[in-house]
Amino acid sequence: MTKETSAGTPNETRRGFFLTLLFSFFGSVSALGFAYPMGMYLWPRERVLKGTGARTMKIPLSDVPIGEARFVRFLGKPAVVVRPNEQLTIALSPVCTHLGCIVKWREKEKEFLCPCHGGRFDVKGAVLGGPPPYPLPTFITSLEADYVVIKEA
Amino acid sequence: MDIETLHLGPFKIKNKIAIRLFSALDDRLGVKEIVDDEVFEKIVPAHLGFWSCFGGISFFLFISQALTGMLLMVYYQPTIEDAHATVAMIMNEVPFGWLVRGSHSWGSNLMLVTIMIHMVKIYVSGIYKPPRELNWVVGITLLLLTMGLSFTGYLLPWTQLAYWATVVGTETPAALPYVGEYIRYIMRGGEEIGQVTLTRFFAIHVMLLPVITASVIGLHLVQIRRQGIAGPM
Repeated sequence: MTKETSAGTPNETRRGFFLTLLFSFFGSVSALGFAYPMGMYLWPRERVLKGTGARTMKIPLSDVPIGEARFVRFLGKPAVVVRPNEQLTIALSPVCTHLGCIVKWREKEKEFLCPCHGGRFDVKGAVLGGPPPYPLPTFITSLEADYVVIKEA
Repeated sequence: MDIETLHLGPFKIKNKIAIRLFSALDDRLGVKEIVDDEVFEKIVPAHLGFWSCFGGISFFLFISQALTGMLLMVYYQPTIEDAHATVAMIMNEVPFGWLVRGSHSWGSNLMLVTIMIHMVKIYVSGIYKPPRELNWVVGITLLLLTMGLSFTGYLLPWTQLAYWATVVGTETPAALPYVGEYIRYIMRGGEEIGQVTLTRFFAIHVMLLPVITASVIGLHLVQIRRQGIAGPM
Protein backbone atom coordinates (compact mmCIF):
# COMPACT_ATOMS: atom_id res chain seq x y z
CA MET A 1 0.00 0.00 0.00
CA THR A 2 1.09 3.51 -0.72
CA LYS A 3 0.80 6.47 1.56
CA GLU A 4 -2.61 7.41 0.22
CA THR A 5 -4.30 5.42 3.01
CA SER A 6 -3.44 8.17 5.47
CA ALA A 7 -5.89 10.35 3.58
CA GLY A 8 -8.31 7.77 4.94
CA THR A 9 -11.21 7.75 2.54
CA PRO A 10 -13.30 4.78 3.65
CA ASN A 11 -15.01 2.85 0.85
CA GLU A 12 -12.45 4.06 -1.67
CA THR A 13 -9.48 1.98 -0.59
CA ARG A 14 -9.26 -1.70 0.21
CA ARG A 15 -8.29 -0.89 3.78
CA GLY A 16 -11.14 1.57 4.11
CA PHE A 17 -13.59 -0.95 2.73
CA PHE A 18 -12.51 -3.71 5.11
CA LEU A 19 -12.48 -1.33 8.07
CA THR A 20 -16.04 -0.28 7.29
CA LEU A 21 -17.04 -3.93 6.96
CA LEU A 22 -15.32 -4.83 10.23
CA PHE A 23 -16.83 -1.93 12.19
CA SER A 24 -20.32 -2.58 10.79
CA PHE A 25 -20.09 -6.27 11.67
CA PHE A 26 -18.80 -5.92 15.21
CA GLY A 27 -21.02 -2.87 15.76
CA SER A 28 -24.13 -4.84 14.80
CA VAL A 29 -23.08 -7.83 16.90
CA SER A 30 -22.55 -5.70 20.00
CA ALA A 31 -25.74 -3.71 19.40
CA LEU A 32 -27.68 -7.00 19.24
CA GLY A 33 -25.79 -8.28 22.27
CA PHE A 34 -27.13 -5.33 24.24
CA ALA A 35 -30.59 -5.14 22.69
CA TYR A 36 -31.50 -8.82 23.20
CA PRO A 37 -30.88 -9.10 26.97
CA MET A 38 -32.41 -5.67 27.63
CA GLY A 39 -35.49 -6.51 25.55
CA MET A 40 -35.88 -9.82 27.40
CA TYR A 41 -35.39 -8.03 30.72
CA LEU A 42 -38.05 -5.43 30.03
CA TRP A 43 -40.61 -7.72 28.37
CA PRO A 44 -43.57 -8.08 30.78
CA ARG A 45 -44.03 -11.58 32.12
CA GLU A 46 -47.40 -12.70 33.37
CA ARG A 47 -46.06 -15.01 36.01
CA VAL A 48 -49.32 -15.19 37.92
CA LEU A 49 -51.27 -16.77 35.10
CA LYS A 50 -48.89 -19.29 33.63
CA GLY A 51 -48.26 -22.43 35.57
CA THR A 52 -51.32 -22.24 37.79
CA GLY A 53 -53.41 -23.82 35.04
CA ALA A 54 -56.64 -22.80 36.80
CA ARG A 55 -59.05 -21.57 34.16
CA THR A 56 -61.98 -21.38 36.55
CA MET A 57 -62.61 -19.34 39.66
CA LYS A 58 -64.79 -20.11 42.69
CA ILE A 59 -66.50 -17.30 44.57
CA PRO A 60 -68.54 -18.03 47.74
CA LEU A 61 -72.22 -17.25 47.21
CA SER A 62 -72.20 -15.31 50.47
CA ASP A 63 -69.81 -12.85 48.81
CA VAL A 64 -72.43 -11.94 46.21
CA PRO A 65 -75.63 -10.84 47.95
CA ILE A 66 -78.78 -10.63 45.81
CA GLY A 67 -78.88 -7.38 43.89
CA GLU A 68 -75.23 -6.54 44.47
CA ALA A 69 -72.18 -6.94 42.25
CA ARG A 70 -68.85 -8.47 43.21
CA PHE A 71 -65.71 -7.34 41.34
CA VAL A 72 -62.90 -9.90 41.13
CA ARG A 73 -59.73 -10.59 39.14
CA PHE A 74 -60.10 -13.58 36.84
CA LEU A 75 -57.22 -14.77 34.64
CA GLY A 76 -55.40 -11.52 35.31
CA LYS A 77 -58.28 -9.35 34.14
CA PRO A 78 -61.24 -7.75 35.89
CA ALA A 79 -64.50 -9.67 36.10
CA VAL A 80 -67.79 -8.94 37.83
CA VAL A 81 -70.32 -11.38 39.28
CA VAL A 82 -73.84 -10.13 39.78
CA ARG A 83 -77.05 -11.81 41.06
CA PRO A 84 -80.01 -9.66 40.05
CA ASN A 85 -82.39 -12.22 41.63
CA GLU A 86 -82.36 -15.69 43.23
CA GLN A 87 -82.42 -17.58 39.92
CA LEU A 88 -79.92 -15.61 37.92
CA THR A 89 -76.15 -15.51 38.34
CA ILE A 90 -74.20 -13.60 35.73
CA ALA A 91 -70.48 -13.07 35.30
CA LEU A 92 -69.10 -10.66 32.75
CA SER A 93 -66.17 -8.46 31.93
CA PRO A 94 -66.66 -4.96 33.38
CA VAL A 95 -64.25 -3.47 30.85
CA CYS A 96 -66.30 -0.98 28.83
CA THR A 97 -66.26 -1.83 25.12
CA HIS A 98 -65.96 1.87 24.29
CA LEU A 99 -62.55 2.89 25.68
CA GLY A 100 -61.81 0.38 28.41
CA CYS A 101 -62.92 1.99 31.68
CA ILE A 102 -64.34 -0.26 34.41
CA VAL A 103 -68.12 0.01 34.55
CA LYS A 104 -69.91 0.57 37.86
CA TRP A 105 -72.92 -1.48 39.04
CA ARG A 106 -75.96 0.66 39.80
CA GLU A 107 -78.07 -1.31 42.22
CA LYS A 108 -81.24 0.73 41.98
CA GLU A 109 -81.35 0.86 38.18
CA LYS A 110 -80.03 -2.72 37.83
CA GLU A 111 -77.63 -1.66 35.11
CA PHE A 112 -73.93 -1.01 34.55
CA LEU A 113 -72.81 2.56 33.98
CA CYS A 114 -69.44 3.53 32.60
CA PRO A 115 -68.08 6.56 34.54
CA CYS A 116 -65.93 7.73 31.64
CA HIS A 117 -68.43 8.52 28.88
CA GLY A 118 -71.76 7.36 30.25
CA GLY A 119 -72.13 4.06 28.41
CA ARG A 120 -74.94 1.93 29.88
CA PHE A 121 -75.33 -1.86 29.87
CA ASP A 122 -78.09 -4.06 31.24
CA VAL A 123 -77.42 -6.89 33.68
CA LYS A 124 -76.62 -9.31 30.82
CA GLY A 125 -74.15 -6.90 29.26
CA ALA A 126 -76.30 -5.64 26.36
CA VAL A 127 -75.81 -1.99 25.43
CA LEU A 128 -78.63 0.24 26.68
CA GLY A 129 -77.20 3.57 25.58
CA GLY A 130 -74.17 5.73 25.19
CA PRO A 131 -71.11 5.25 22.99
CA PRO A 132 -70.19 1.52 23.54
CA PRO A 133 -70.29 -0.34 20.21
CA TYR A 134 -70.58 -3.91 21.57
CA PRO A 135 -72.12 -5.68 24.57
CA LEU A 136 -69.89 -6.66 27.49
CA PRO A 137 -68.29 -10.14 27.04
CA THR A 138 -69.75 -12.72 29.40
CA PHE A 139 -68.26 -15.69 31.27
CA ILE A 140 -69.97 -19.04 31.81
CA THR A 141 -71.30 -19.39 35.34
CA SER A 142 -72.50 -22.44 37.23
CA LEU A 143 -73.51 -23.03 40.83
CA GLU A 144 -71.61 -25.58 42.88
CA ALA A 145 -72.84 -26.03 46.44
CA ASP A 146 -72.21 -22.64 48.02
CA TYR A 147 -70.02 -21.33 45.24
CA VAL A 148 -70.37 -19.55 41.94
CA VAL A 149 -67.93 -21.05 39.45
CA ILE A 150 -66.96 -18.86 36.52
CA LYS A 151 -65.00 -19.90 33.46
CA GLU A 152 -64.15 -18.51 30.07
CA ALA A 153 -66.90 -18.60 27.47
CA MET B 1 -26.22 25.24 0.83
CA ASP B 2 -25.58 22.97 -2.13
CA ILE B 3 -22.43 20.96 -1.71
CA GLU B 4 -21.93 17.56 -3.31
CA THR B 5 -19.60 16.07 -0.72
CA LEU B 6 -19.41 16.77 2.97
CA HIS B 7 -15.94 16.35 4.46
CA LEU B 8 -15.96 15.27 8.10
CA GLY B 9 -12.52 14.23 9.21
CA PRO B 10 -11.66 11.14 7.16
CA PHE B 11 -15.26 10.68 6.00
CA LYS B 12 -16.72 11.86 2.73
CA ILE B 13 -20.50 11.95 2.97
CA LYS B 14 -22.36 11.95 -0.36
CA ASN B 15 -25.92 11.16 0.80
CA LYS B 16 -28.04 14.21 -0.09
CA ILE B 17 -30.44 13.89 2.87
CA ALA B 18 -27.61 13.47 5.37
CA ILE B 19 -25.84 16.54 3.91
CA ARG B 20 -29.00 18.67 4.09
CA LEU B 21 -29.73 17.59 7.69
CA PHE B 22 -26.16 18.28 8.73
CA SER B 23 -26.08 21.62 6.89
CA ALA B 24 -29.30 22.69 8.60
CA LEU B 25 -27.73 22.02 12.01
CA ASP B 26 -24.46 23.62 10.92
CA ASP B 27 -26.13 26.82 9.70
CA ARG B 28 -27.88 27.28 13.04
CA LEU B 29 -25.39 25.96 15.58
CA GLY B 30 -22.01 25.82 13.81
CA VAL B 31 -21.82 22.06 14.34
CA LYS B 32 -19.09 21.42 11.76
CA GLU B 33 -16.62 23.62 13.59
CA ILE B 34 -17.24 21.75 16.85
CA VAL B 35 -17.05 18.32 15.23
CA ASP B 36 -13.84 19.22 13.39
CA ASP B 37 -12.11 20.89 16.33
CA GLU B 38 -13.23 18.62 19.15
CA VAL B 39 -13.40 15.24 17.42
CA PHE B 40 -11.43 14.88 14.19
CA GLU B 41 -8.76 17.54 14.58
CA LYS B 42 -8.43 17.04 18.33
CA ILE B 43 -4.84 16.15 19.10
CA VAL B 44 -4.34 13.63 21.88
CA PRO B 45 -0.96 14.26 23.55
CA ALA B 46 1.54 11.52 22.76
CA HIS B 47 2.55 10.99 26.40
CA LEU B 48 -0.88 9.70 27.40
CA GLY B 49 -0.92 5.99 28.11
CA PHE B 50 -2.64 3.21 30.00
CA TRP B 51 -2.68 5.00 33.36
CA SER B 52 -4.26 8.09 31.84
CA CYS B 53 -7.42 6.18 30.96
CA PHE B 54 -8.86 5.63 34.42
CA GLY B 55 -10.74 8.92 34.69
CA GLY B 56 -12.50 8.06 31.45
CA ILE B 57 -13.13 4.50 32.63
CA SER B 58 -14.68 5.87 35.83
CA PHE B 59 -16.91 8.10 33.69
CA PHE B 60 -17.90 5.14 31.54
CA LEU B 61 -18.76 3.17 34.69
CA PHE B 62 -20.90 6.05 35.95
CA ILE B 63 -22.90 5.97 32.71
CA SER B 64 -23.21 2.20 33.00
CA GLN B 65 -24.37 2.52 36.62
CA ALA B 66 -27.00 5.07 35.58
CA LEU B 67 -28.35 2.80 32.82
CA THR B 68 -28.36 -0.45 34.83
CA GLY B 69 -29.84 1.48 37.76
CA MET B 70 -32.74 2.64 35.61
CA LEU B 71 -33.32 -0.96 34.53
CA LEU B 72 -33.27 -2.18 38.14
CA MET B 73 -35.85 0.46 39.09
CA VAL B 74 -38.27 -1.18 36.65
CA TYR B 75 -38.70 -4.13 39.06
CA TYR B 76 -37.36 -2.95 42.44
CA GLN B 77 -39.81 -1.78 45.11
CA PRO B 78 -38.40 0.22 48.04
CA THR B 79 -40.60 -1.15 50.81
CA ILE B 80 -39.38 -3.32 53.67
CA GLU B 81 -41.92 -5.99 52.69
CA ASP B 82 -41.01 -6.16 49.01
CA ALA B 83 -37.43 -4.87 48.67
CA HIS B 84 -35.69 -8.21 49.21
CA ALA B 85 -38.38 -10.17 47.35
CA THR B 86 -38.09 -7.95 44.26
CA VAL B 87 -34.28 -8.15 44.32
CA ALA B 88 -34.54 -11.96 44.56
CA MET B 89 -37.02 -11.87 41.68
CA ILE B 90 -34.62 -9.79 39.56
CA MET B 91 -31.83 -12.30 40.30
CA ASN B 92 -33.83 -15.53 39.83
CA GLU B 93 -36.80 -14.89 37.59
CA VAL B 94 -36.38 -11.86 35.33
CA PRO B 95 -34.46 -12.83 32.16
CA PHE B 96 -30.93 -11.38 32.35
CA GLY B 97 -31.85 -9.79 35.69
CA TRP B 98 -28.69 -11.37 37.14
CA LEU B 99 -26.72 -9.56 34.44
CA VAL B 100 -28.27 -6.17 35.17
CA ARG B 101 -27.94 -6.41 38.94
CA GLY B 102 -24.50 -8.04 38.68
CA SER B 103 -23.28 -5.22 36.44
CA HIS B 104 -24.67 -2.66 38.87
CA SER B 105 -23.16 -4.15 42.02
CA TRP B 106 -19.80 -5.08 40.45
CA GLY B 107 -19.75 -1.75 38.63
CA SER B 108 -20.09 0.13 41.92
CA ASN B 109 -17.07 -1.66 43.39
CA LEU B 110 -15.10 -1.31 40.18
CA MET B 111 -15.92 2.40 39.95
CA LEU B 112 -14.26 3.07 43.31
CA VAL B 113 -11.21 1.03 42.21
CA THR B 114 -10.85 2.99 38.96
CA ILE B 115 -11.33 6.30 40.79
CA MET B 116 -8.55 5.33 43.23
CA ILE B 117 -6.20 4.41 40.36
CA HIS B 118 -7.12 7.70 38.64
CA MET B 119 -6.31 9.62 41.83
CA VAL B 120 -2.99 7.81 42.37
CA LYS B 121 -2.01 8.62 38.77
CA ILE B 122 -2.96 12.29 39.20
CA TYR B 123 -1.09 12.41 42.51
CA VAL B 124 2.18 10.77 41.50
CA SER B 125 2.31 12.73 38.23
CA GLY B 126 1.79 15.98 40.14
CA ILE B 127 -1.11 16.92 37.88
CA TYR B 128 -3.04 18.34 40.86
CA LYS B 129 -0.55 21.25 41.01
CA PRO B 130 -1.46 24.77 39.81
CA PRO B 131 -3.41 25.62 37.75
CA ARG B 132 -5.33 22.42 38.38
CA GLU B 133 -5.85 22.55 42.18
CA LEU B 134 -9.52 23.37 41.81
CA ASN B 135 -10.11 20.32 39.64
CA TRP B 136 -8.48 18.17 42.34
CA VAL B 137 -11.02 19.57 44.79
CA VAL B 138 -13.86 18.85 42.37
CA GLY B 139 -12.41 15.34 41.95
CA ILE B 140 -12.42 14.76 45.71
CA THR B 141 -16.05 15.89 45.74
CA LEU B 142 -16.76 13.26 43.08
CA LEU B 143 -15.01 10.61 45.20
CA LEU B 144 -17.20 11.52 48.19
CA LEU B 145 -20.34 11.52 46.02
CA THR B 146 -19.44 8.07 44.69
CA MET B 147 -18.92 6.80 48.24
CA GLY B 148 -22.31 8.28 49.16
CA LEU B 149 -23.88 6.42 46.25
CA SER B 150 -22.20 3.18 47.36
CA PHE B 151 -23.34 3.64 50.95
CA THR B 152 -26.99 4.43 50.13
CA GLY B 153 -27.19 1.71 47.46
CA TYR B 154 -25.90 -0.91 49.89
CA LEU B 155 -29.07 -0.79 52.02
CA LEU B 156 -31.52 -1.21 49.15
CA PRO B 157 -31.54 -5.07 48.87
CA TRP B 158 -32.65 -5.09 52.55
CA THR B 159 -30.60 -8.14 53.52
CA GLN B 160 -29.00 -8.80 56.91
CA LEU B 161 -25.69 -7.58 55.48
CA ALA B 162 -27.32 -4.41 54.14
CA TYR B 163 -29.21 -3.75 57.35
CA TRP B 164 -26.25 -4.16 59.72
CA ALA B 165 -23.91 -2.27 57.43
CA THR B 166 -26.32 0.64 57.63
CA VAL B 167 -26.56 0.27 61.42
CA VAL B 168 -22.78 0.60 61.62
CA GLY B 169 -22.65 3.31 58.94
CA THR B 170 -25.18 5.48 60.73
CA GLU B 171 -23.71 4.73 64.16
CA THR B 172 -20.25 5.93 63.11
CA PRO B 173 -21.10 9.65 62.70
CA ALA B 174 -23.01 9.42 66.00
CA ALA B 175 -19.60 9.33 67.70
CA LEU B 176 -19.00 12.96 66.70
CA PRO B 177 -19.29 15.27 69.69
CA TYR B 178 -22.46 17.39 70.02
CA VAL B 179 -23.81 16.93 66.47
CA GLY B 180 -23.31 13.17 66.06
CA GLU B 181 -26.64 12.07 67.49
CA TYR B 182 -28.51 14.52 65.27
CA ILE B 183 -26.67 13.29 62.16
CA ARG B 184 -27.64 9.72 63.00
CA TYR B 185 -31.24 10.82 63.57
CA ILE B 186 -31.37 12.58 60.18
CA MET B 187 -29.70 9.70 58.33
CA ARG B 188 -32.09 7.13 59.76
CA GLY B 189 -35.15 9.33 59.58
CA GLY B 190 -35.86 8.37 63.18
CA GLU B 191 -34.30 6.48 66.07
CA GLU B 192 -34.29 3.15 64.28
CA ILE B 193 -33.61 1.83 60.80
CA GLY B 194 -36.90 1.02 59.13
CA GLN B 195 -39.16 1.92 56.24
CA VAL B 196 -38.36 5.64 56.57
CA THR B 197 -34.63 4.90 56.31
CA LEU B 198 -35.12 2.70 53.25
CA THR B 199 -37.28 5.32 51.53
CA ARG B 200 -34.84 8.16 52.08
CA PHE B 201 -31.81 6.07 51.12
CA PHE B 202 -33.68 5.08 47.95
CA ALA B 203 -34.53 8.72 47.13
CA ILE B 204 -30.93 9.81 47.76
CA HIS B 205 -29.52 6.88 45.78
CA VAL B 206 -31.66 7.12 42.65
CA MET B 207 -32.32 10.85 42.39
CA LEU B 208 -30.38 13.28 44.60
CA LEU B 209 -26.82 11.92 44.34
CA PRO B 210 -26.93 10.84 40.66
CA VAL B 211 -28.12 14.29 39.58
CA ILE B 212 -25.49 16.07 41.69
CA THR B 213 -22.77 13.65 40.57
CA ALA B 214 -23.63 14.12 36.89
CA SER B 215 -23.44 17.91 37.30
CA VAL B 216 -20.12 17.79 39.13
CA ILE B 217 -18.72 15.42 36.46
CA GLY B 218 -19.69 18.12 33.95
CA LEU B 219 -17.71 20.67 35.99
CA HIS B 220 -14.74 18.27 36.12
CA LEU B 221 -14.75 17.84 32.32
CA VAL B 222 -15.26 21.55 31.57
CA GLN B 223 -12.16 22.34 33.64
CA ILE B 224 -10.12 19.71 31.77
CA ARG B 225 -11.23 21.19 28.44
CA ARG B 226 -10.41 24.75 29.54
CA GLN B 227 -6.99 23.87 30.98
CA GLY B 228 -6.05 21.18 28.50
CA ILE B 229 -4.39 17.86 29.27
CA ALA B 230 -1.40 18.26 31.57
CA GLY B 231 2.01 17.96 29.95
CA PRO B 232 4.40 15.06 30.51
CA MET B 233 6.27 14.81 33.82
